[in-house]
Formats: sequence, structure tokens, C-alpha cells
Amino acid sequence: MLEVLELFDRPAVLHSIYLIGSLILFFIGLYGLLAKRHLLKIFVSIEIMELAVYLILIAIATTPGETAPILSDGFTAFTSMSDPIPQALTLTAIVIGVAVTALGTSMAIQYHRLTGKVSVGEMTELKD
Amino acid sequence: MSRRLPLRKRFRVHTLLLIALCGWLLMLHLTLLLNHGLDAPSNGVGDLYLARNSETASANAVTTVVVSYRGFDTLGEVTVLFLAATGIGMLFAGGLGATPALRDRNNHPNEVMVTGTRLLFPALLLLGVYIVLHGHLSPGGGFQGGVIVATAFFLRMIADPKFNLDHAQLGWVESFAGSGFVLFGMLGLVFVTTASFLGNFLPHPVAAMGQLVSAGVIPLIYLLVGIKVGAEIGAIFQDMLEADHDTPVSARAAEEL
Amino acid sequence: MTLHFTPVWFIAVPLLLAFLAPLWVRWRLLMPVLFSAQVALFVLALSWLPTVRIAPILETIVIAPPLGIHLHLDAIALLLVALFSFAGAIVSAFIWLDNGAAHLRERPAFILMLLLIAGSNGMVLTGDIFNLYVFIEIVGVSAYALAAIRRDKTALEAGLKYVIVGSVAAIFILFAIVLLYLQTGQLNIAALAQAFGNMPAQMQLLIGLLMLIGLSIKAELFPFNFWVPDIYRGSDPEITALYSGVLVKAFLFVLFHLTFILLADPTVARNWLMALGAITMIVAELVALRQNDLRRMLAYSSLGQVGLITLALAFASEATTAGALFHMVNHTLIKVLLFLLAALMLRQYASLKLTDVHGLSRTMPLAAGLFVLGALAVLGLPPFSGFISKLWILKGFADVQTFWPVALILTAALIEAGYYFRWIRVFYAPTDALPMAKIEGEKTLNYAPLLVIAGLLIVLGVAPFLLEDWLQQAAQALLGREALLNAVLGVQP
Repeated sequence: MLEVLELFDRPAVLHSIYLIGSLILFFIGLYGLLAKRHLLKIFVSIEIMELAVYLILIAIATTPGETAPILSDGFTAFTSMSDPIPQALTLTAIVIGVAVTALGTSMAIQYHRLTGKVSVGEMTELKD
Repeated sequence: MSRRLPLRKRFRVHTLLLIALCGWLLMLHLTLLLNHGLDAPSNGVGDLYLARNSETASANAVTTVVVSYRGFDTLGEVTVLFLAATGIGMLFAGGLGATPALRDRNNHPNEVMVTGTRLLFPALLLLGVYIVLHGHLSPGGGFQGGVIVATAFFLRMIADPKFNLDHAQLGWVESFAGSGFVLFGMLGLVFVTTASFLGNFLPHPVAAMGQLVSAGVIPLIYLLVGIKVGAEIGAIFQDMLEADHDTPVSARAAEEL
Repeated sequence: MTLHFTPVWFIAVPLLLAFLAPLWVRWRLLMPVLFSAQVALFVLALSWLPTVRIAPILETIVIAPPLGIHLHLDAIALLLVALFSFAGAIVSAFIWLDNGAAHLRERPAFILMLLLIAGSNGMVLTGDIFNLYVFIEIVGVSAYALAAIRRDKTALEAGLKYVIVGSVAAIFILFAIVLLYLQTGQLNIAALAQAFGNMPAQMQLLIGLLMLIGLSIKAELFPFNFWVPDIYRGSDPEITALYSGVLVKAFLFVLFHLTFILLADPTVARNWLMALGAITMIVAELVALRQNDLRRMLAYSSLGQVGLITLALAFASEATTAGALFHMVNHTLIKVLLFLLAALMLRQYASLKLTDVHGLSRTMPLAAGLFVLGALAVLGLPPFSGFISKLWILKGFADVQTFWPVALILTAALIEAGYYFRWIRVFYAPTDALPMAKIEGEKTLNYAPLLVIAGLLIVLGVAPFLLEDWLQQAAQALLGREALLNAVLGVQP
């Protein structure tokens, strides 16, 4: 039993699991984006794809055994700590993603209030 | 399943094709990334940042990266949030034929909600401020703390229909924090010691690392970010609450979802 | 204490002005601030020309490259920044002088337009790939919101389509950046360029494809440009002038900058990109023939020109690149002119369908005249600057005995002539109806910014040598991978 658990501590195994999971998420998002017509579902799909990308970045850049890159609890030097850049990048990307989604959903709400439509398939104002 | 539909009605070809396409792409990415993409980047800039981090005297290396080394990204990120808040405010601003729907005053929130909010509000506010101020010492920072503060106000808005954040005041707060961020950046440019945009021009002795007053401009900038994020998210919440009103159409939308 | 003039100003000043928006609202200074900011940045850019001619300016932010973010002001970045500021100044002057569209003179429009241009400046200046992503999003979010700024059905539909397509493109770009970081551990574009060749070939292909899809969606290349005409049709013409004049140019630059920098041998991508450009051009021009709405026609025409610029840039020879950059400048000027004219016509006619604008020249003679001028310039007839830029491109191809792009470009110009003259014929069609009454607020002053552009088109057509040296240097800067790597990585902290 313990050997199995130790297996999971090996970076390659752990990273593979993270990678498989996040890629599956990414393509679930892509499927949703291509298959669904409801505006909110489309935004949900876009969010899922985005989150999958963040997950890949964070998961693969961190090796098991590394600590958070913060000096506290007795740590006195920045050694064997995880790479701070992916965390900073993800923080930035999350905020940007939230901003875009908030704007998109607001537009969807307003569009729905004006026209009563909720599906991209029904958007025909711009066709001649 | 009492009623048996023909097979082709239960699975549409379109859907199956899309699933096949996505599955194929997934397999392609998986084989590629599992073969080549499993190792964490070695000797990249991240390690160099860690090695140099102590010169900024900030105990939290992520904060150093976010606010100092890649502070320009953060300025951009704050700007994106600012743009989105502007856009949402523009979308939900009054007009559109009908007057902006007032929130339903008769629809009182229940007692648990109201009491719970009274209890939580100060605690949340305190937690938010703590997280913002300790951005350079512990996990968290301006973004996280700012969102917590905004959430505290959001709870107030839900629990008390008469509670409104004043948009004009929020605008001034946001404007103060945003221009403060840029001005801090420009001050870094002005001082000869740093001569770089967003340079850390205040003294930041390494000996003070781990104390509340340390790391020069980093906590100050993160405080401004916190104020700005709090004001912007608060404004977005306020806009969306004002926009929220029940119409028969939205019930239909919920059904279709 | 000294105050340096550095490239950061192109980004920091607009940001500061946008954050201070409540002040300008209180003092009723929104439009003057918007206009003078663009003019000031344009003048600043021109004043830097002699310095940048000698050596590119490298502006370090906090920590020197390859660790930190830096801004890289070379001849091409300066050219584009100047162009964007100029286009911004023209559009804001037009809106300021205009009495019509009130929603374009309020606080949100001020912030969004200012930051759209600031973000485009950032995209061409930054030397860091994640910073590039942040600027892409700044430009993206302001563009999405601007598309919907009129808040009626058509505008909201355009905005929604733009948000969806744009954020999907951004995800692809972000995915490529994430993979690049995971593979190399670098974020600086120059450092990435060094490490890019050492990656497994399949990985390079995947990253390249993700980047190409993301940027092609944003830069409106076929087959990823299906959404463009709808958005150009739904948004205000003043805004689409900025899309076509500023946004697309910034994304085209990013696409080719990354291609030429990351790939040690750009000929790998040359055929792909040239094919993409050629197909974009031909398909767009053919579809434009059938358009019955002026704004859709202009959108397709814009796509056609984007295809032409892509075709010429992808060839990666100095002569075609210089021509393509000149054509970029011309196209920005012409499309700003044509879209602003469309704005004026839309005010008068309410609909810009082919059947509704019969005899427009009798009501709006100046507008019809300027439209003819713009059409002739976009077709590339002398004495307009479009002639010179197309000539340079054709000459660049012919000099190295590559004739198929020449044939395609000439065919495209013929098709273009077909649909522009169709519209001009309708404008000048004899009608029995009396000229329409001028709508209120129509002033000759409205035409002042347009006349500036028209003058510039002629001046550049008669005297292209004014820009020639600059364009040559810009082309060298765009193609000069080694020089850039040396400039960035040679400087150590």
C-alpha cells in the first residue's frame, strides 16, 4: 500500500495525473464551446478552458516536496521552494479571466433584457 | 425509459462528431505533453528570482514577483479589471427605455441572513484588510484582500436592501488608488537610485525582512491595488444588483438553461 | 532627481489619464484630454525619431532582461506607436467636433478609447511575452466594451460575438505562453527565441499552431475572420475605424514579430503565412463584391488589405516588408477616413444599404468626394500613397522573380476596383429627388480631421521619401533577429 503512495510522490507520475486531468478539462470546455448555443453555457465553457490552462501551469511548474516561496515558519532562505512565477502569472491571468467573463455575462444579461434571446443561434440582428 | 426513441434521435451526429474531434485533439495533446512536457522548468527565471528575492526584503516571493519584478503586469491587470468595471457600469447605467430597476424593497432577506451578515461583516472586513496589509509577509495580497472586502460589502447589500454603495464615491476611491499606482511607478523613474518605472525607491533594508514595515514600496503598492480591486469589484456587484429584477423573460431563460 | 522621457510614457501617461477620469468629468475636459493626450504622444514619438534611428531604446522595468519586463523602442515600434497615436488623435478630434453620438463622448468611451490605444502601444513596445498577453487583454476588453457601447440590440450582439471569439483567441495565446514557460523557463521574448530551437520539434509545432490560431483570430486572418463583418456592421463606425486602423495593425505586428524572432529560420513559416495572407485577400475581396451594406463592404475591404499586408510581410524580404509597413500606414489612414465618412453618412441616411444611398453626392458632396479619394488611394492609383506602397510590394516580389503574389495582388486590386466603383456610381447616380435636408449639427468643421488625412495621403503619395528611410529601418528592425537578441541579451544587469 505504502509503495503505491510513494509512487504518487514521483514528479513524473504526479505531473502526468495533473496533466491528464487538466487536459480533459480543457477539451470538455472546448466541446462545450463548440456544441452549446446558450450564451451562459458558452461563457462557462470558456471559463473551464481557462481554468484548465491555469491548472497546467501551476501543476507542472511545482515539484512535490517544494514549499510555498514564503519565508515564515522557520524558513530562512529561499531554497527548495517552488517557482514563484507561475503563481504570479496565474494570479494575473485569473483576475483578467474574471474581468472578461464579468463583462461578457453583463452583455449577455443586457442583450437578453433587450431581446429576450439567450442563444447565439438566434443572433440575427447583424445579418442582412 | 418507457419511450424508446430511435438511436439517431438520441445521439445526434453533430454531437458525436464534436466529441470525436475533441477526443482526438485530447489524445494528440496528451501524447505530446506526456512525452515532452512533464518536467518543471529548470534553471529558468523563477530560480533566479528566488535567488535574488532577499534584496527586496519581502518575505513573500510571490508578492515580490507580482508587485515588483513583474509589477508592470500587475498594473496591466488592474487596468483590465478597471476596464471591465467601466464596461459593466456602462452597460448597466440607467436608461435602456425603462428606468433602472430598483431592487425589490418588499423582498426581505431572511433573519438568518441578516444576523449572520451583522456578525460576519466586521470579521470579513478585518480579514480583508489584514490580508492586504500582510501581502508581503504571508500568502495573499491586494487582489485577494480587496475581493474579500468587496464580498463583505456584497453581503451587506444582499442582507440590507437599503444599503447602497455610492458610485461616485467609489469612482473617486478607485481613481485615487489607480493614479497612485501609476504615480508610484513614475516616482521610481524619477529617483536616481532606481531610475526605473516601479523601482523600489524607499529604503528596504534586508534586516527588516518579515516585519510589517519592510520591503519599501511593495506593501504600499499592494495596498493601493487592494483599495482599487475592492472598489472595482464592489462597483461591479452594485451594478449587477441594480440590474437584477424579475421579468417573465428571465424565468424563460432559466428554463432554457 | 531627473525626469526621463522613456518609452514607459506611451503606456503610463494614458493609464494615469484614464484613472483620473472622474477629474476630467468634473471639469468637463474629457474630449480635450483624450485628443491632446494622443497629439502629445504623437509629438513625443516624432521627437524620438533621431535617437531611435541611431540605436533602439531599451527601457528596463525594475530588473534587467532577461529577468524582468522591458520595453523595446526600435524603428518599427516607433512607427506603429506614432501611427496609433495619430489615428487616435484623428478619431478623437472627429468625435470631439461632432455633435452626434453622445455616448462616444462620455466617461466610459473616454476610458475605453484611451486604453485601447495605450494597450496597442504596449503590445508593440513590450519585450516580455506574458506582458504581451496582459496588453492583448487590455486591448481586448476595451474593444469588447467599445463594440457594445451604443447598448442597442445590434451593438450588444456585436459585443457578445466579439467577447466570445476574442476570449477563445486569448485562451489559445495563453496556452501557448504557458507551454513556452514550462518548456524553457523564460518569459522574455529574446530569451525565448534563444531557447525555442532547443525544444522538441513537435512541441514547437504545437506552440506555433496555438499561437497562430490565437493571433490569426485577433488579426482577422482567414479562416478565423468569419466574425469580423458582423462586428464592423454592429459597432459605431468611429469605433470600427479604431479596430481597423489600430487594433488589427497591432496584432499583425505581434504575429510577425513573434514569427521572425522565435524562428531562427522564418522560411519555415513563410509559405504557410503567405498562403494564409493570399487566401484572406482573395476570399475577402470576392465576398466584398456581393455586399450591399457600406459597413460590411468596408469590413471585407479591410480584411482584403490585411491579407495583402500579411502576404507581403510573410515573404520576409526587406523590400516587401518595407512596402507592407508603408501599406499598413496607408491602410490605417484610408480606413480611418472611410469609416469616419461612413459615420457621417450614417447620421444623414440612417441606413447604409446600397439602395438607400442613391444620389448621396448631392446631399453630401464633400463626403462623396472624400470617399472617391479614399477609394482611389486604397486601389493604389497615383498620386495617392497607396500607389507607392503597392508599387514597393510588387517591386519587392518582382525583383526576386516571384510572380504569383504579383498576379494575385493585381487581381485583388481589379476586384476591389469593381466594388468601390459600384458604390461610387451609386453615390453619383442621377436622381430626381431633391437633395435631402441637412440634419442638424452637420458642420463643415466635422470634415477637418478627414481633410487632414486626405492631405496626408496625397503628400505621402507625392513625396514618399519623407518616410522611406524610416520604413527601411523599420523593416530591418522587424527582420533583424540577431540585432534584437544582441541588444536585449547583451546588456546584463
